[in-house]
Amino acid sequence: MTDIRILLVDDEPDIREIVDVSLGLDREFTTRACASGADALVTAAEWSPSLILLDVMMPLMDGPTTLANLRKNPRTAHIPIVFLTARTQSSEIEHFISLGAQGVLSKPFNPMTLATSVRGYLPPSVTHHVP
Amino acid sequence: MSAKKQMSTKSIKAILLIEDNPGDVRLLREMFNDHGAHDAELTHVDCMSAAEKHLVEHAVDIILLDPGLPDAQGLGAIRRTHAAAPRLPLVVLTSLDDESVAEQALQEGAQDYLIKGQIDVRGILRTLRYAAERKRLERLKDEFVSTVSHELRTPLTSITGSLGLLMGNAAGNLPTPMARLLAIAHTNSQRLVRLVNDILDIEKMEAGRVVFSFSRVEVRTLVAQAIEANRGFAEGYGVRVRLGEALTAADVRADPDRLLQVVTNLLSNAIKFSPPDSEVVVAIEKGVDVVRLTVRDHGQGIPVDFRPLIFEKFAQADAGDARQKGGTGLGLSIVKQIVDRLSGEVGFADAPGGGTIFHVQLPCWDHVASLAIDREAKTDATRLLLCEDDLDTALTLRAQLRQVGFATDFVYSVSEALARAEATQYHAILVDINLPDGDGVSLIVRLRELPQYRDTPIVVVSADTNPGRDDLRSSKLNVLDWLTKPVDFDRLVRLLAKSVVRNANRRPRILHVDDDNLVARALGEIADVVTVNSIEAAQRALKAGDFDLAVLDVELAKAASPDLLPELRDSKGNAIPVVVFSAHGANLADDPREQAALAKSHSSIDSLVATVRDRLASRLASVSGR
Repeated sequence: MTDIRILLVDDEPDIREIVDVSLGLDREFTTRACASGADALVTAAEWSPSLILLDVMMPLMDGPTTLANLRKNPRTAHIPIVFLTARTQSSEIEHFISLGAQGVLSKPFNPMTLATSVRGYLPPSVTHHVP
Repeated sequence: MSAKKQMSTKSIKAILLIEDNPGDVRLLREMFNDHGAHDAELTHVDCMSAAEKHLVEHAVDIILLDPGLPDAQGLGAIRRTHAAAPRLPLVVLTSLDDESVAEQALQEGAQDYLIKGQIDVRGILRTLRYAAERKRLERLKDEFVSTVSHELRTPLTSITGSLGLLMGNAAGNLPTPMARLLAIAHTNSQRLVRLVNDILDIEKMEAGRVVFSFSRVEVRTLVAQAIEANRGFAEGYGVRVRLGEALTAADVRADPDRLLQVVTNLLSNAIKFSPPDSEVVVAIEKGVDVVRLTVRDHGQGIPVDFRPLIFEKFAQADAGDARQKGGTGLGLSIVKQIVDRLSGEVGFADAPGGGTIFHVQLPCWDHVASLAIDREAKTDATRLLLCEDDLDTALTLRAQLRQVGFATDFVYSVSEALARAEATQYHAILVDINLPDGDGVSLIVRLRELPQYRDTPIVVVSADTNPGRDDLRSSKLNVLDWLTKPVDFDRLVRLLAKSVVRNANRRPRILHVDDDNLVARALGEIADVVTVNSIEAAQRALKAGDFDLAVLDVELAKAASPDLLPELRDSKGNAIPVVVFSAHGANLADDPREQAALAKSHSSIDSLVATVRDRLASRLASVSGR
């Protein structure tokens, strides 16, 4: 079976748990969660996820800063990033995309379809992997 | 909350008085002085455009407005003041017999009003302090609402998420009684999400922070999409939604996302107030220059008492309604705000046979597209291209520019701007920096890549005082200026007059009185030059045709001054500006018409040409402005 690794970064433990269950509805997903941007930098470099779901408003290191730092490290620079955010004005979405994010998903999200939405942002090389 | 400076009631330092009656101004000034309102400084302007200019350039703490001005009256004056300074407290001066204006002023966002003839010193200071404090609290409230709404989304995400997973049987199948209770919790959590979204939406729109992206929208497709999206909701109420008579070729100019929100809100409103097993019918008709969308329900109709309030925030016909119908009381208010911004109109009427018909009218695309080219201006007027996505702003600016002789075509997007600029040669381009399909800066970059627009004057017009403005002005893009909205019109006209060199139909003509061929050749690059070497020849040339400028050698000019200078007029009798070119740096100081004197020995021919080009520019602009 394909192993599609999704790294979730969110400072809210409840949201981490719900996203974990939601993504678990897709049998091919393996999810890990980080509570801060700083943790995410370490875990992303070690674990090489297929995609990172990134909260925007976090204390200390916010989502856009985390993205910038991930892009600086050659080991994490290529990983697709999707923001998961409570701010979804269209101008803000454009701003996030201009920072280099693959997409933006809004909170609150539909937990039954979150995994499908995330799949849409995976590069073909990941989804069409031959075991 | 940010560490922005909050104005305290004690720190009213700069008062702007907008008043055109000198007697009232004197009276108010005396009151302030007599009372020794020591640290408060009263600045006075006598019209709205001067007020707008002042507000852009100076810090002001509070505004005192008499809404009967030469260039703005009544509600219009109040709205323009509010638009120019949405964050400043506003006190309106009214006379005894127009207290209705005062009432409207308060509805439009003024904090208080004073009645002329009944003002006393203590009263006015109290009113100003009170207004400032009220405005501060309004602002705190807005910021609070915005913060709270964001903060509410986080727990809501957890709640709707958990309930959604349970309802989707992600944690195993649920026994029926438990599923029913969870369904109630789930439905209500979603309602709470809608409420928070609506509150945020309305707060953003009121604060003017919503950016609209206009494009051509096919109404029929959009309505079909909205009906489809609301099908489940309608089924819950046992209501059918049907697209009735609908023109296919009904395109409007709108922001598709926001228009979808309008249709969705009207549909959900109609569905909620329909009896079970009834029908909601949407129709699309075409009127003169507009597309009219109607939503008809078979509900009980709108109570008469409630009609004037229907578009107000949190307005519901009776308090029980909100709970009963699951609404937020914001839907129609949002509809109104959006339709206003789309330059449209919304209203309602009783439907024949019971029920209500809501209608929305929007400018149809063909009409808006036909407006884009200025056909009313004179054909030989200097033609400008205005890249501006707000139709009302574009039309206002065009009307103003037409009065001073410019023709203005407008476009709403970067792609249209480039297409139009290639189709027609414009003499200057005004660019709004926020355009729907890209930013104005990239438009300027691409215009500069076109050889015919390498040197064309470009002015940026923007709602924000972007920190990048100085970079842009000094960059290679050669942007003349960055004007903040509302546009200081006089400044814009001055800029255009100075920089617009070429007239649409002809090259400028110069009368060159000298015998220097090098100079003649250099001038020939920017104008048609008639070179003569005697006074008599100059006089003959003047009789034969009009000139925009005369370039004179000082020796000849001196010899000629009694004879030639009075004759330097065009066929309309307007004096022709003179540039004197001398071997010694001497000039004809006595003649007021001499516009520039250059020393031949010191100044290069290049600088002569530059001076001449500059004079020609202001000359041509003033001629085309007549």
